[in-house]
Amino acid sequence: MPHWAPVNLPAAFLLHSVTPGVSNMIAKLAKTCTLRISPDKLNFILSDKVANGGVSMWCELEQENFFSEFQMEGVSAENNEIYLELTSENLSRALKTAQNARALKIKLTNKHFPCLTVSIELLSVSNSSRIVTHDIPVRVIPRKLWKDLREPTVPDADVSIYLPVLKTMKSIVEKMKNISNHLIIEANLNGELNLKIETELVCVTTHFKDLGNPPSASEDASQDRNPGQMAEVRIDIRRLLQFLAGQQVNPTKAVCNIVSNKIVHFDLLHEDVSLQYFIPAFS
Amino acid sequence: MLKCGMSGSQVKVFGKAIQALSRVSDELWLDPSEKGLALRSVNSCRSAYGCVLFSPVFFQHYQWSTSVKMNDNDSTSSNLNCKLGMKSILPIFRCLNSLERNVEKCKIFTRSDKCKVVIEFLCRHGIRRTHNVCFQESQPLQVIFEKNMCSNTLVIQPRVLAEAIVLFTSSQEEVTLAVTPLSVCLKSSSDEPVDVTSSVYSEMFVGPDEFDFFQIGVDSEITFCFKELKGILTFSEATHAPIAIHFDFPGKPMALSIDDMLLEANFILATLADEPSRASSPQSLCLSPKQKRSEPLSSNSEAGKNVTSKAPECILRKVAPKRLYPKETLTDVSALENCGSPIMKRANGDRSEVSESSVSDTEEVPGSPYLRKFSCMFFGAVSSNRQERFNHPFDGLATASDSEEDMNDGSFSTF
Repeated sequence: MPHWAPVNLPAAFLLHSVTPGVSNMIAKLAKTCTLRISPDKLNFILSDKVANGGVSMWCELEQENFFSEFQMEGVSAENNEIYLELTSENLSRALKTAQNARALKIKLTNKHFPCLTVSIELLSVSNSSRIVTHDIPVRVIPRKLWKDLREPTVPDADVSIYLPVLKTMKSIVEKMKNISNHLIIEANLNGELNLKIETELVCVTTHFKDLGNPPSASEDASQDRNPGQMAEVRIDIRRLLQFLAGQQVNPTKAVCNIVSNKIVHFDLLHEDVSLQYFIPAFS
Repeated sequence: MLKCGMSGSQVKVFGKAIQALSRVSDELWLDPSEKGLALRSVNSCRSAYGCVLFSPVFFQHYQWSTSVKMNDNDSTSSNLNCKLGMKSILPIFRCLNSLERNVEKCKIFTRSDKCKVVIEFLCRHGIRRTHNVCFQESQPLQVIFEKNMCSNTLVIQPRVLAEAIVLFTSSQEEVTLAVTPLSVCLKSSSDEPVDVTSSVYSEMFVGPDEFDFFQIGVDSEITFCFKELKGILTFSEATHAPIAIHFDFPGKPMALSIDDMLLEANFILATLADEPSRASSPQSLCLSPKQKRSEPLSSNSEAGKNVTSKAPECILRKVAPKRLYPKETLTDVSALENCGSPIMKRANGDRSEVSESSVSDTEEVPGSPYLRKFSCMFFGAVSSNRQERFNHPFDGLATASDSEEDMNDGSFSTF
């Protein structure tokens, strides 16, 4: 085994598993993102900057579901976290070579500059081991910027609804994108969801029925609201498409929360990975 | 004059060869001879050369002859000096899988009266598709390179290389091969200034037992262009033959070859030289005094000494593009055009004029912090009189003196 470079960064951690699916999804959702490492979780974060069009993302996985070995040490005992900024595609590419790996290790190293070193042991046909290493450059985010990267608060939604099959949604939105830049997403408590686009010449609406609504958190809110009344948000269609393009597999659970004219919040669960994606209303 | 025919599955291999050569350059020479049909390609900065020679037994039938031109009182026989644009020929050999399925027979022949190559596909259901491609009259180039004299030779199954290729992103232009007698490592080239946000450094170690043949005479690390490696790899997967890699030290060209009973493919690539070494090292080869440029360096004076002592292998020439493959801009083209296109010309009489070519001085970027030197291949014009060439192997080369004594007896191979 090759000798690892000494680490003199806030932490060292050793992972042992294969997680290409998540990194592929992240690579489609965000070009650059932040990886937050804490003792029990890994998060991929995109914070709501103007550059993203105000979109933000919070993806979480419990490390024990993925890794057989996990060690980390944060900046200090109170701040036992590490925040790294990286180009998502670099990670997904590196992990792609690990599809049939015998062993995979990810380590934070410092070779001239901080890197996430992915080391993969492949078994070749001739039964000899081949070692592949990828050094992915990362930027360690200083503690003073951590406040911008906190888990976003889930807004009180006017309507919560289960989403239809995402692939279907994606093919519809893809066609709509050719007609308009904006899309209205609206839903009600009767399990109905509409995707609407309007231009001077044409209006197109796709209706989804019988989707079902998750049980509401606050009883009062659901009593007051007329079940047929739609809550709507007008959003940038490309953001929605980008989100849908990242979903290769239909999730175990997919909920859409709408705050009228403010924000649409997608809450997905893919087996052990939870993903939250926020698209603000187009202003 | 060329006339040959092949079956659907042979068309696939032929098409794959063209695709591999298209990665080298936008132009393709069709060069038939008694040895078979050679497809040749050279890139504009003369740092990569590809040649695939299909032997006559590859084809269902193969006929070749030189055309005899009556010229005043003289008759000179000339080869088919045929240069095609990749843009014209590549689309014909697209969708190779469907060609393999549908084509029953493919005929390629040249029309002696016009500068045209005719490619005819006789397909299923009685469909016949004919392509007439105009060609430019141009003498093909070939590289003089003694691959068997290289200290390091590796022979590997294409599948193994294919696994390595996946590691590198298409944005990485260059890749480094580092060898010792115990290990082989393929890694991202570390010479480029690292852009922190995007470049991943990858490396893969392959043990000696994975190679069909492993001979390392000298520890070496060579850096070369990734694009051509991919090209030859896809071709070798089509031929199911292993790839041989011949190389020495950085700066000296390397050869990637496939040798099979029916065809022989050779891709000669320039490698990056180590910065400290001067291009005009003793290994530099002689250059023709006929050449128009005052460069290179001291080669002219050494020419007389070197020509007798060493078999010609390559010219090391000081060039300073920032990368192995400078972006092909207009200046490249004009610089090459200013050479007076020696490549195109054929000397009168028996001797062929040397086509000395390399990236010209106009490529130098003054003050560039990353002066690169890499070797260029030495090209010889293909003489039409093959017999004559066998007698005087160095006619294709420029020699310092015209006297016969300077001829070297050493053998070398031309591709």
